[in-house]
Order: sequence, then structure tokens, then C-alpha cells
Amino acid sequence: MNVIEVKELEKTYYVGDIEVKALRGVTFDIQKSQFSAIMGPSGSGKSTLMHIIGCLDTPSKGEYNLNGENVAKMSDDQLAKIRNKEIGFVFQKFHLLPRNTALENVMLPLKYANIGRLERSEKAKEALAQVGLSDRIDHKPSELSGGQQQRVAIARALVNSPAILFADEPTGNLDSKTGEEVMTLLHKLNNNGQTIVLITHEKDIAVQTQRTIFIRDGKIESDTIN
Amino acid sequence: MLAEESLTSAFDAIKANLLRSILTALAIIIGTAAVIALVSIGGSAQKAIENSISDMGSQVLSVVPGQKEKNGVKSAFIPLKLGDVRALENEKNISWKIAPEMRGNKQVKYISENANLPIVGTTSDYFSIYGIEVNQGNVFTENDLINGKKVAIIGSDVAKELGTNKKDLLFKNIVIGDSSYRVIGIAEPKGSGGWDNPDERIFVPVITASERIFGRIWINMIVVKSAGEFSLPQVMIAIERILRRTHDISPGEDNDFRVYDWSEVKQLQKETTNILTTMIAGIASISLLVGGIGVMNIMLVSVTERTREIGLRKALGATQQDILIQFIVEAILLCIIGGLIGVVLGSAIYFSIASYQEWPIVMPLSAIIGSVTFSALVGLFFGIWPARRAAKLDPAVALLYE
Ligand SMILES: Nc1ncnc2c1ncn2[C@@H]1O[C@H](COP(=O)(O)OP(=O)(O)OP(=O)(O)O)[C@@H](O)[C@H]1O
Ligand SMILES: [Mg+2]
Repeated sequence: MNVIEVKELEKTYYVGDIEVKALRGVTFDIQKSQFSAIMGPSGSGKSTLMHIIGCLDTPSKGEYNLNGENVAKMSDDQLAKIRNKEIGFVFQKFHLLPRNTALENVMLPLKYANIGRLERSEKAKEALAQVGLSDRIDHKPSELSGGQQQRVAIARALVNSPAILFADEPTGNLDSKTGEEVMTLLHKLNNNGQTIVLITHEKDIAVQTQRTIFIRDGKIESDTIN
Repeated sequence: MLAEESLTSAFDAIKANLLRSILTALAIIIGTAAVIALVSIGGSAQKAIENSISDMGSQVLSVVPGQKEKNGVKSAFIPLKLGDVRALENEKNISWKIAPEMRGNKQVKYISENANLPIVGTTSDYFSIYGIEVNQGNVFTENDLINGKKVAIIGSDVAKELGTNKKDLLFKNIVIGDSSYRVIGIAEPKGSGGWDNPDERIFVPVITASERIFGRIWINMIVVKSAGEFSLPQVMIAIERILRRTHDISPGEDNDFRVYDWSEVKQLQKETTNILTTMIAGIASISLLVGGIGVMNIMLVSVTERTREIGLRKALGATQQDILIQFIVEAILLCIIGGLIGVVLGSAIYFSIASYQEWPIVMPLSAIIGSVTFSALVGLFFGIWPARRAAKLDPAVALLYE
């Protein structure tokens, strides 16, 4: 079954009078439980693509089905709901709320899902256990190492049991050892059936996944099984 | 998101920038404090006036000088004279008490202490009209009154003003102006009901006041208390009839004096105080509005600063409405906290002034509720725009904001 089906996706930005074609017709599918990597040089359109398939943005043209639902024409509120229920994000810069504890950070998506306090903290603790941080739930981001912060971010992405997990350069801000730890964690999650799309610059990281989609200038240059 | 959640996150955001939040709320704090302090002071004044009027008793009428009006042109004030008092006293069909009041401030001396005190020239009936008890010594004798003797009855606080004990002054001489007067009586305290202290007055026979102290024959007021067999309007008509005759006013001409029923004055005072209070509240609400602009400014800064946070929240599933509510709640909370601090501050200012001035205390409950509600509305009004800006942010762009 395909979690993501993208057809002839285009995205054009307008900066003043200048047209910037960030995506020029991208077509691919992603199957359930697949661990794929999107690779490409800087400015090739990776983040733009992730924003669209992550429902943070809408395409200028083309079709996008997520779990069989056409997303391209959805309203803002519908997209917010999909982001909340179906999608988990992991960012290069962690994006944790600095004043909140690990537990509070992980509970945030559940708040927007209107889940009650008790269930919220139970689920968040479960997610933190999954990333091996049960003993750090009351720590603030500043009291955690980079690798631990990224694991909190992964727990936050997992807490709503999303259909797909997007990770945009998740190891970009980490040294190679902690980066490997994060990769090991992602592999573990994938082994449990989690669909993951990883965006990366690094060939070493891309080859660890099952499939590499290489984009250049807003188009898919190659799509290979590793 | 649940309402309770937006409240805690708003508290967190305010706490995170505590100093800035307080500075932002400062105008709200000052505005609310001003409303509370000024409105309560107005309430105190109102209360004081009411107290002093009810002290006089409801059956007391006062006659004060008025102006003649001819062909729409007003003349100077026509003075009331002792002859007017005598004319009223000569009316034997009505049983009433009448007393003149000739009033002015004079320098009063005892040994080496000096004070500027109100002198009231009157008759003994004055004390019974106003229910002033002269519990040490005596009231004026017929002889004192007719011959304008140099005697005085002093209010209970006069001794203190002259740096001595009450008892010390009885039957001693004090100097009023430049001659000396024998204290023949001391009045019981009446208690301060208003702006001036009635216990600081010195009473002398009206002839004495006229001939020896002020050197004039016009008096400030005539007070009349009916014994009750006639209604106030009837007594007023009788006063008018007699005074029109003595003032030689032909039928159809207006009175050149005015007769006050104190209950009317009370009403008038109430209205004036209300107008004043409304004006004060209006001015203070301008300060609240200015505060609102400050809040809007800081909220805009805060939205910019937290662009990435907003992007993240949206990425995690916050709808536009969630973000909108989060920032509006924050603005309202900031204003309510400012309002509450202002209430405490304003009440503190008011209570310290009121207790220092010995004013009657009034709790300005409606002003408290009103100003806190108004602060909240200011927060809502000035919070909407920044909150809308936050809600409309494009998550994809906001996430990348540095
Ligand atoms: N909001 C935007 N407005 C205008 N142009 C944009 C916008 N976002 C991206 N672009 C342009 O679109 C192209 C693709 O950008 P994108 O961020 O997707 O690249 P990327 O592959 O993620 O690069 P990197 O590896 O540096 O993150 C670039 O030329 C970029 O300048
Ligand atoms: Mg990128």
C-alpha cells in the first residue's frame, strides 16, 4: 500500500517579479514501512518537497495523495489536522521549546489533538521510553545533549503515531557518533513498521536507507533501491 | 487546544519575559491605579458631603444671599443682614429656630501659639439647630448676645490647634484678631465629615462678630429649623414671604436671596460628583488605551521573536485559531495582571490618603470590576492584530526563520 503518491508536483515561488521554480514535475510513490532518503545538492528543492508532502505547504500544480486522500486541495484547518494526526517532523535544529521540559515538549502535539492531561502524559512517557529517555523527562532542552535533544524531537514526532515520519537533516547538527545513534534509532523505528522519509546531504547516511531519491533542479534525477 | 492549556502557556510566556511584561503593563497598571484611587476619592467626597448634610438634620433650611435679576441683567449679590434675621424672629405664627451665621477666618492666639481658624458669629440657637452639644461651660447669655460681649465658645479641636489642652482653655482668654476673648464654653466633638473640620470653629455672639471682629453687617447665611408642625415647603414659603417684605420686592419680581433645602443640595452634590467621577474615569481610560498600544507593540515584537515557535506549533498541528487564541489570551492576561496590580496599587494609594485625611472609606467595587474588565477588553482589542499576524504565518517559512 502507498502512503504517499505524488504526481507531476510543481512549486513556483515568486520573489518580486522573479519566478523561482523550486519543483518542476516530481512523481513518485512511497510504500508503507519504507525507509527512503531524499538527496540532492543545496537549492535542489528537497526542503520544498518535504514541506509539501509534509502538508506544511501546498503545491502550485500536481496531485498529492496521502493515505489515499487528495491533499492538494485541502483547507488550512484540514492540513493542520493532518499534520497533527498523520505526520511527524524531525528538524535539523531540533525545534524544541526551550522553557519546557522534555515531557512537555513531547506532549505538545497531543494538546493540539485535544487529548486530556492524563492520557497525554502517559502517551508522551511511552514515546520518550521508545527513544530511551525515560530518565530525562523533566529535563529542559538546555539540560540535554544535542543527541538527546534530537531524540526528544523524535519522541515528539512519534507521539501521535503518525503514518509517516519526515526527518530533514536530522543528523546535520550532531557529531558523527551521536548522528549514528540517531540513525540507529530511526532504523529501530523503521523495523517496527514506521514509514520514514529522510532528507540528507550525506551519501553515507543515504545509503543506510532502503531507497534514495536524488533530486537536482527541482526534478528527480534518479530513484534507486540501495 | 484546551482553554486551560492556552492559559498556562500564556502564563509561561509572560513569566519568561517578566521584566518586559511588567514594563509593558505599566501604563495599564498606572491607568487602573488612577481610576481606582480617583474614583474612590470621589466616593469619599460624596460620602463626606452626605454625612455633613445629614448631620444638619433634614429639617434645616438655609437662606443665602442671591442676585437680583432685572431685564435679564443680574445685579451684584444682595447681602443678608441682621435685620433679616430679626424679621424672621418677629414672625410669631410659626415656631422655628433661627440663627445667623457670620463667618470668616481670623488669626487666633493663645499665649505664644498661633492658628488661623474659622470664626462663626451666631446666637445660641445655632447649637440646638445643628445639634452641637456645649458640654463644658455654657452657651451665650442674653447679655452676651445683646451687648456683643467678648466671649467665645470653642470647638473641641481648637485647643489642640493652639497647642494646649481642652480643659486648660475653659474660662481663659484667647486673642482673636487683636483683642482678647473669654472662652465660656467648649463644644463636644462633631467629627470630621468633610473637607473642613467643624470642630475647629470658634463661635462668638453675632453682634461681637459684626462689630468687633469682621466690622461688617452682612451675614453669610441664616439657618432655620422648623419645629415640625409645618412642612418644609410651607416653611420655605413663609421665609420667602417675610424676606420679600423686608427686601421690598414687589410682586412679580424674583427673590434676591435663595432658600436651600439640604436634601436638594445633597442630590445636586451627588450629580456633580457623578459627573466628576465619569470625567476622571474617562481620562484614566485614555491611559489604559495608551497602555493597550504598548501591549500591541510588545505583542508584535513577541510574534516576530517567536516566529519559529509559531511555525513549529503549526507543524505539530496547531490551527490558525489555536495560534490566534494563544496570543490573544496572552495579551488579555497581560492586561488583566496589569489591571489587578493597578487595583492593588490604586487601593493602597486611596487607603493611605483616606486614612491620613480621615475621610470615610468607601470600597470602589464597581470601579474595580469596571477597570479590570476594561483592561481585559483593551488586551482583547489590541491583542487581535498581533495575534492575527501570528495565526497567518506560513508554517514552512516560519520554521526557517532565524
Ligand atoms: N519561500 C521561498 N520563497 C522563494 N524561493 C524559495 C522559497 N523557499 C525555497 N525557495 C527557493 O527554491 C529553491 C529550492 O529550495 P529548497 O529549500 O527546497 O532547497 P534544499 O534542497 O532544501 O536546499 P538545502 O540543501 O540548502 O536545504 C531554492 O532556489 C530556493 O531559493
Ligand atoms: Mg533544505
